[in-house]
Amino acid sequence: MRSLVGIGLLSAGVLMSAPAAAQPAAAENVEALRQELHQMRKQFETMREGYEKAIDRLGERIQQLESKPQPAVAAPSPASSPEVAPAPAPAPPAIAVSPLDLIRPRQPFGLYSTRGPGQLLFDMGIAGDFVANFTRRHVDKTDAGTFSGRENRFFPREVELSLFGQIDPYARGEVIIETGEEPSEPGELTIRLAEAHLTLLTLPFNAQLKMGQMRSRFGLLNQLHAHDRPFIDSPNVLTRFLGEEGLVERGAELSWVAPLPFFLEGLVGVFNGDNEDAFGHGKLTDPLVTGRLRTFFELGDSSAIQLGASVAHGSTPERRRPNTLLGFDAKYKYRPEGWPHPLLTVLGEVILQNRRIDVLGEDTDGDGVPDTPDERRTRKRWGWYLGGEVRPFRTGQLARWAAGFRYDWTELPVERGREWAAGPYVAFMPSEFLRFRLGYKHTGRDRFTDESSARRVDEILFQATFILGAHPAHPF
Amino acid sequence: MRTLLPALGAGLLALGLLAGGAEAAERIRVVATTTDLKALTEAVGGGLVEADALARGNQNAHDLEVRPSLMVKVRRADLLVINGLELDQWAEVVVRGANNPKVTPGAPGRVDASSGIPVLEVPRTRVDRSMGDVHPLGNPHYSGDPGMAPIITTNILEGLARVAPQHRADFERNRTEFLARLAQAMTRWSADLTPFKGAKVIVDHNMWLYFLTRFGLVQAGSIEERPGIPPTPGHLTRLIASMKEEKVRVILTVPWGDQKLAERVAQEAGAKAVVVASAVGAVKGTDSYLDTIDYNVKTVAQALK
Repeated sequence: MRSLVGIGLLSAGVLMSAPAAAQPAAAENVEALRQELHQMRKQFETMREGYEKAIDRLGERIQQLESKPQPAVAAPSPASSPEVAPAPAPAPPAIAVSPLDLIRPRQPFGLYSTRGPGQLLFDMGIAGDFVANFTRRHVDKTDAGTFSGRENRFFPREVELSLFGQIDPYARGEVIIETGEEPSEPGELTIRLAEAHLTLLTLPFNAQLKMGQMRSRFGLLNQLHAHDRPFIDSPNVLTRFLGEEGLVERGAELSWVAPLPFFLEGLVGVFNGDNEDAFGHGKLTDPLVTGRLRTFFELGDSSAIQLGASVAHGSTPERRRPNTLLGFDAKYKYRPEGWPHPLLTVLGEVILQNRRIDVLGEDTDGDGVPDTPDERRTRKRWGWYLGGEVRPFRTGQLARWAAGFRYDWTELPVERGREWAAGPYVAFMPSEFLRFRLGYKHTGRDRFTDESSARRVDEILFQATFILGAHPAHPF
Repeated sequence: MRTLLPALGAGLLALGLLAGGAEAAERIRVVATTTDLKALTEAVGGGLVEADALARGNQNAHDLEVRPSLMVKVRRADLLVINGLELDQWAEVVVRGANNPKVTPGAPGRVDASSGIPVLEVPRTRVDRSMGDVHPLGNPHYSGDPGMAPIITTNILEGLARVAPQHRADFERNRTEFLARLAQAMTRWSADLTPFKGAKVIVDHNMWLYFLTRFGLVQAGSIEERPGIPPTPGHLTRLIASMKEEKVRVILTVPWGDQKLAERVAQEAGAKAVVVASAVGAVKGTDSYLDTIDYNVKTVAQALK
């Protein structure tokens, strides 16, 4: 390559200089011609050097590109001028997204065909969450503990395999398969699809559409899996009103972030309604409709608060009677300047229910015939919880420890009765990927609750959580 | 209630339209995940850009809390500059919460500043988390090395030119001017640290390798036994012993690190712990990229004297 360029330039120089040599040899012109020839030779040398440098640079560039699949540990050249640092690879062509792009058919395996050997084009992670519960015999017998049917057991509550990543430039996908011990069959593990959804990221007007099976973003904790929650167990108000699994629904959620100087997110969801406790009709003709508004304020450099309001409206599982849940939530964090974690976190939720139910007539005289008529009634019930956690040490071994407390109070959604619970816990986190919690919980119930034979429940709870592989960062 | 909801909706819509109109008239909005990248974006973009950073200079960019206020910044961004190499993976959660299609993965408004960086410490053997919170793609702390600025600014320039191609010439001119100033400063920094070539230092977190290699210094160990895991007493004892044996006189610590521990180790090893700027704005007097490198060079040179 170098010789070709050199020969070319030399030929050009010879050709250009030939007419000059053919001029009449007037003495006054000879010196001028010599000078001209000298000048041209200099120019030629300069050009040759320039081309050689360019060729060297291209050669280095080719070497860099060829060696790219094998990660190179190349030390920067010490004390060299910044200008000599190697040039980066040219940026990939920009992908402009237009509404037309979204409806145009695409080749789903286009990305697959261009991947490198051994590369997965998505992330995967495993989260394991084991809990243990120790309580008295009468609580065990009546299944009246926090993990009903699994009292005095150590069991996998949730072991999840998460697969997530970009589907293409326009959408992201996530699939979570989980297993855990069922309350009805202690010792038996069932494998189920916990979540599977895609999110369209490039919709107009700063909207996103998530569709599939998902944990509904109703309130603070429902959207989190058990291992991500700030407490060992779910607050009683959530398990009473939404069931032990919470609102895991099939449908779609449309979210929008307002173009305002502060954060304001609104979302609307439409689902089948597959919840066994609150919304169970399971038909899109009579769907569960949810909505949520969430805002956030920084209170100086160290503190911040998030406020949310949620609504869920659908039909009850038993007789398709309307049920509406309103939820209000708040979360506050105090994280002093330079701290790697919050010193104080306080959070709470309130749920208000307005539910229509059928009350069957009662047989008051014992003749087997109802003496009072069937009637429809409205159950206006509510409940709440408030919890907090302190992690008082900034760095060092003690920074791995945290302590927290939660108080629950709730009415039952349909039957008469109410319960309250309180419990402290301590947490030890050897690393970001491993956590142990040990807690005590005291539950008090009034005489009307189903579990009135266990009106006072004392439990020791233990939780061990680990994460293998990738796990997305947690939002505030 | 019936009239309140439509009124609230109309109000939000009006605010949104106003905010949208205001956005159109303003400069190119760039959000960078770190203050180093913000400063380098400003150097390339000049007056044509309005840059902001998600992490503050004195924060640990590995583990930033994903606050909705960060989503507000990204929500309005025309360009997002990320550090890459898994330093700022939390940015993906911010992007997802921001609902801004301009900066989603694969969109033109995304810049990975690590593209083309000759990455150090890329694992050549199998790694797992028994080694701590390791970076499987290599050491991501390249922006503290001024020698990497030409590559980073090229990436930023290409990103800016994608979203505002009409200003490419301005960006190129700004970059050239900045690199000229950087080259001038580099001569000075090299002269300041040349007398200490081969000197050994200890770091609290393994984030100075690019900087130290650039100036011919040697990282002899770190207070952190494994990334993201507090050191054990045994490790500290061994570290102090090796510092004494190898006559290491300086520990580099960062504002978000455990400075008390660094001072204690330094005291026991007969060394000195100094705070260096982990990013632009991390300590007083480091408001620009050149000031930051200048501060770090002077601090290290002074400590090694």
